[in-house]
Amino acid sequence: MRRNMILFLLLAGLLALTVWTTSLGRVGFFTMAPPAKLLAALREHLEIVLLAELCAVAAGIPIGLILSRRSFRRGAPILSAVTSIAQTVPTLALVGIFSILMGLGLRSAIVALGVYTLLPIVRNTYAGLVSADPAVKEAARGMGMSTPQILWRVEMPLAMPLIMAGIRTSTVLNVGSAAVAGMIGAGGLGEIIMTGVSLRLVEMVLQGAAPTAALAISLDRLLEIVAGRAVPRGLRRPLRREDFGRT
Amino acid sequence: MIELRDVTKVFPGGTQAVDGITLVVHEGEFCVLLGPSGCGKTTTLKMINRLVPLTSGTITVGGRDIQKLRATELRRRIGYAIQEIGLFPHMTVAQNIATVPRLLGWRKAKRRARVRELLGLLGLTPVDEFLRRYPAELSGGQRQRVGVARALGADPAILLMDEPFGAIDPITRERLQDEFLRIQREIRKTVVFVTHDIHEAIKLGDKIALMKEGRLIQHATPSQLLAQPADDFVRGFVGTDRTLKALRLTSVREIMDSGPLSVRDDDSLAAARRAMDRLERSFLPVVGEDGLFLGWVGRNSVLGPPSVCVGDRITPYAVLGSPDMPLNEALALMLESATGNLPVTDEDRRLVGLVSFDRLFESLRQIYVEREAGEGSP
Ligand SMILES: Nc1ncnc2c1ncn2[C@@H]1O[C@H](COP(=O)(O)OP(=O)(O)OP(=O)(O)O)[C@@H](O)[C@H]1O
Ligand SMILES: [Mg+2]
Repeated sequence: MRRNMILFLLLAGLLALTVWTTSLGRVGFFTMAPPAKLLAALREHLEIVLLAELCAVAAGIPIGLILSRRSFRRGAPILSAVTSIAQTVPTLALVGIFSILMGLGLRSAIVALGVYTLLPIVRNTYAGLVSADPAVKEAARGMGMSTPQILWRVEMPLAMPLIMAGIRTSTVLNVGSAAVAGMIGAGGLGEIIMTGVSLRLVEMVLQGAAPTAALAISLDRLLEIVAGRAVPRGLRRPLRREDFGRT
Repeated sequence: MIELRDVTKVFPGGTQAVDGITLVVHEGEFCVLLGPSGCGKTTTLKMINRLVPLTSGTITVGGRDIQKLRATELRRRIGYAIQEIGLFPHMTVAQNIATVPRLLGWRKAKRRARVRELLGLLGLTPVDEFLRRYPAELSGGQRQRVGVARALGADPAILLMDEPFGAIDPITRERLQDEFLRIQREIRKTVVFVTHDIHEAIKLGDKIALMKEGRLIQHATPSQLLAQPADDFVRGFVGTDRTLKALRLTSVREIMDSGPLSVRDDDSLAAARRAMDRLERSFLPVVGEDGLFLGWVGRNSVLGPPSVCVGDRITPYAVLGSPDMPLNEALALMLESATGNLPVTDEDRRLVGLVSFDRLFESLRQIYVEREAGEGSP
């Protein structure tokens, strides 16, 4: 309850900041983004985030799943190496690389973000699947479940809390990183921030940054609610810090 | 029927966990695999449902070579319960128990009826309440029961159990063992049960297969094992108090003096005195008109005017035995209360028998005689 209150106040503050900066209209020589443009940017931003997240989930869960299989376990150390290296690559660089490979625009932004935010999902899917209680798996096998049945009826449901936590982490990461997409002409709130930065206009930077933060917070809360429903009832418990990995 | 012939298991690392075991478990028999930690009990058990592949030898279940069956099919026909239980935490108790029926494609109504039946059988009542619970909402003992119920789910003829009562407190364990014995008398499964607890083995097993370092050392009934240990290892394993353990195998009913000599509470003291003289006893149990056991009268307390009734001079009883009580418990009660006689009553406290120290001593001697005979011959 108290947490909801804090979140609400935070959101209200960010929204107020957005409205205020927009209402400034002109600052010195420059014009702030008009409301219609701001809304369009927000919509674009949301689109980029959702599409990139969709890519990340669609690729991340199967990758995590494959890595968790016994015959691929040897790949797990490679995974953690790739994870830590990839996290040290700045988003900006990654987006830059993809824009060189695939050209400027929305498509390369989505792919770049998808790749960047894939890792929490892969890692959590993997962790969720390998951490399943061996006694539970043995019982499942001993009762005559086939390997796919064990995966779908036992392992996946048991990994669900961690997978959902991974998706949340990656979504929040996505919202922030998507701002960078503005740089390669993919639109979104990043464009407003970038313009603000190049004009050295703090108000305009805030005009883009405040709704970005608000979006991140709302999506996180929304996913928390969705996750609560996706997790089987017998497993529901408050998530611990380590469920979200080290990001 | 389960038949193991020259079964061996060598793990990839080179550990020889099982070394040439030949063992037959007959239909409806409760066979306990007993032995110290690491002797290969679990490995032997898991080879029966193919959780561990055989290195060599053959195992047949119901006359069919398990290698010729599909592993999943074989396992669905064999109940399996383990110490760690391994309940599915994301499923309700009902879903857990219905796991194998569901794999076998039973209809929903049939599954539901079976789940209710099993919950009732294992004393998880009220049934409607437990059906809906999740494993996290159960106590350790209740989880263990659900684990056993789940193993019984599709009513398999064979049950494999690996220390299913290992991880619970002694009192609950004792109760679960008693209940499982009662259930087993009803359902008559062919059971292979792993434990390293000799008491549990003696209490539950029709036969005990004692293992050591992957080999079968002795396969015998509990009383044979206690009376005629095959070698020093067995003798050491069953313990120096094996005679006392053997007492556990006999029930009070078998040695009690039934229809014991007693006096009524409305008899006169004179009559009681005469009875004692005639029977050459210094104590007699007193029963009421309805046969209920009331207490004792001793020779010292029946001195007095003949008009007084026995009822006024009763020494109240301290302990009671029941016909199904094993002798070790009867002995403990007698030692505890320092009386030479233990009254045995039915559920309604009606006197049905008497165990005297002499009788108990007699049966102890019987065990010794058996043992001597056993050890004398090779
Ligand atoms: N998967 C495995 N790989 C290699 N060695 C194993 C494996 N499982 C068991 N062993 C070895 O086989 C031997 C027998 O093990 P097993 O689990 O059958 O013993 P146990 O009689 O059940 O012991 P406990 O009473 O402690 O459960 C042990 O030496 C053990 O280390
Ligand atoms: Mg074991």
